Amino acid sequence: MASRSVPRPSLWTTRTQWFLLMLGAIGCSVFTAGFQQDWLNLQGLPQLGQFFRASLHPDLSPAFLQLTWNASLVTLAFAVCGTFLSVILGLVGGVLISEVWWQSVFPRWAAGRFSGQGLRSILSVPRAIHELIWGLFFVNLFGLDPLVGIVAIVVPYSAIVSKVFSELLDETPREPLNALLNSGVPPLTALLYTLFPQAALDLISYSFYRFECSLRSAAVLGIIGAGGLGYQIMLSLQSLRYEQLWTLFYALILLNSLVDLTSALLRHRLGAPTRLDLNLRRGVRQSPQSSPLLFWRGKLQHSLTLAGLGAIVLIPFCFWYVGADYSKLWSPRTLTLLAEVGQAAFPPNFQLAQLPELIRLCLETIAMSVLAITLAGLGGILLSFPAAHNIFLPGGLLQPFKTGWFSQGAGWLLLIGSRLLLLLFRSIPAPIWALVCLFVLFPGVLPGAIALGIHNWGILGRLMAEVNENLDQRPIVALKAQGTPAALLFLYGILPLTFTRFLAYILYRWEVCTRETVIVGLVGAGGLGRLVSEQLSSFSYSSLIVTLSGFVVITFGVDWISRIARRLLRGSP
Amino acid sequence: MFDPIFELRQVTQRFGQFTALSDLNLHIASGERVALVGSSGAGKSTLLRLLNGTLLPTQGEIWALGQPLNRLSAAKLRRVQCQVGTVYQQFHLVNNLAVVHNVNAGHLGKWSFWKAVLSLIYPQELEAAAKALYRVGIPEKLFERTDSLSGGQQQRVAIARVLVQDPIAILADEPVASLDPQLSREIMDLLCGLAIADGKTLVVSIHSIELAKSHFDRIIGLRAGQVFFDLPAAQVSNSLTSSLYQR
Repeated sequence: MASRSVPRPSLWTTRTQWFLLMLGAIGCSVFTAGFQQDWLNLQGLPQLGQFFRASLHPDLSPAFLQLTWNASLVTLAFAVCGTFLSVILGLVGGVLISEVWWQSVFPRWAAGRFSGQGLRSILSVPRAIHELIWGLFFVNLFGLDPLVGIVAIVVPYSAIVSKVFSELLDETPREPLNALLNSGVPPLTALLYTLFPQAALDLISYSFYRFECSLRSAAVLGIIGAGGLGYQIMLSLQSLRYEQLWTLFYALILLNSLVDLTSALLRHRLGAPTRLDLNLRRGVRQSPQSSPLLFWRGKLQHSLTLAGLGAIVLIPFCFWYVGADYSKLWSPRTLTLLAEVGQAAFPPNFQLAQLPELIRLCLETIAMSVLAITLAGLGGILLSFPAAHNIFLPGGLLQPFKTGWFSQGAGWLLLIGSRLLLLLFRSIPAPIWALVCLFVLFPGVLPGAIALGIHNWGILGRLMAEVNENLDQRPIVALKAQGTPAALLFLYGILPLTFTRFLAYILYRWEVCTRETVIVGLVGAGGLGRLVSEQLSSFSYSSLIVTLSGFVVITFGVDWISRIARRLLRGSP
Repeated sequence: MFDPIFELRQVTQRFGQFTALSDLNLHIASGERVALVGSSGAGKSTLLRLLNGTLLPTQGEIWALGQPLNRLSAAKLRRVQCQVGTVYQQFHLVNNLAVVHNVNAGHLGKWSFWKAVLSLIYPQELEAAAKALYRVGIPEKLFERTDSLSGGQQQRVAIARVLVQDPIAILADEPVASLDPQLSREIMDLLCGLAIADGKTLVVSIHSIELAKSHFDRIIGLRAGQVFFDLPAAQVSNSLTSSLYQR
């Protein structure tokens, strides 16, 4: 017989420690955000009201619609060209920094491994710097040319794509490759016949995901003058023409939803893993589940062929439409400017007296990213359930077996409403949200954090809804069969299955958030971002190098903490 | 007690074009131990899903514990479901929770919301959970993560969950199909032993005729959605079972 009092394990576990650490970090960040001073500016309320009222009557005059259409095409073209080039470069880079490549070329030469690692660490620097900083830098080089929009996406993105591709290649089973290598096939050919086809699905799936991201980046880059929707939005906002602003918003939302939907459909048709699995590198193939929405997906039999044709038409069109002056890339003027930048930047201008200020700004940046990801994470979790099609819809997990027409309608309404809200949140670039926040908040960490939080809320909510939709339903059905009420079904069935994945996503997104603090710094929110943009526009490269180094250090630190926490998540109960 | 505990009246179940069960009539008395046999797709799982109320029939009526399942409100249906426990082939446990929470999930039909919340942080009714695990033979696994257990151990956890639920009837859908013969026998011994000790009704779908004969009072053979035979275990002959599996 079991003893009377069963010994319990200690509550003081690594998990509890991390939880307290997290609470502490959020508490400190709230303190840093400066609630102790004046932060709310109620005088801006009427303006905020004006802004939101304008959403009901956007400017639909033919001339402005024409302008919106052209601007949308420019933004789309930036995204398409940027993705195309960074995937190509990323493929090359991915092979070059993968372990498997160096092992196949120099099987017995240790230096091979070091060259891979060396390249890998060099590529982590362009990755740590946000595309907006690259954009500002390239504006200084090329002037206001559409080329800026493309190159600013390509530089950091190809580094990111290289890293992910190399990891995908390294994790593909190597037996077929070794078989070919051992029979004397040259390394590149062997790779082409084994690892590439094996990893193709994941590579394509990740490329589509990059396309979604690069559309958002293209909108942000517009704000610094590269052109497109972001540029027009900035112009309308500065001249306080909210009706025009909302027309542009709606265009951006439409564009985002089209791209997100196409990408989701294609990834589904490919049977590709969800992004979480790509990011966490678990090669789980999800089997499609029946649902009302999947029914429509099933109708799109030929979508893959269509997508291929679309890409063949779209990519050349976009390169033509952007009309960038590519000769600037290698023109003597660019080279001279680049050399000047190099001379101006070195030696870096570092003075010990700046150190306290630099540290203060670093802490502000971290606080901003922590607050932003807290808002985005909590909000994302909240909306991810109504936004998933397998929870509240008729026949969903939290619906009784029989549903009346009222709850059916409510389920659909919730789904559409929450999806639209998430779409709005993620379509509008963070700097624009920051400017909206500045109507009623004084400049500082807080508006930046809220703006980043809202934008990432939209992204996280969608990713988390996807997690919910790929949930293993069997344990929940089992609990339901024994008469568990909906609230407890959620607590014991749905939440335990999804929560660790949510946390993993939040941690992963936190790294991105930290990089993005720069783009809200640009419009006057605090942190290193503001300093970076000031130094860039005043061409003081020697100080910029110091600030950027601080920024890179923070990014690496956040990256490191997030990686440890995610590893813990995978192991502990 | 309810008699019969389960009753099907002219039940037909269709999934789109496919008819899983057609015009089925069935009585199961309180305290009986019934094995459902038949080839894959004969309708065994569908029948069990009808009995625990997770599926409502296309036509006909299901009565469980004296209640007409297809005419109950959602809340009343849940109250009946609290009295019917189910064990599954794939265990259907929440993998990344500790064993104790999966066992305590058996209480969820009765616990208040806040008690359930508290239990996730500080496990409640620990003695009951420990006792259930002791009865299924793995007392030492109480605080382990569920997915760190072997298949046989996970099925024991699933049975412990049903023990904690303490229902009037236990249903099991191929509970041993994922396990090796030795483990299968052990799990069937366990399940039938517990049912006999606590006087519970047991309805189990199973592939092995041998296990069905050795562990059950009554065997129902299903073929193409209809009852092919319904006999006391001793009267099921080899020729009968071989014609059951003929296409």
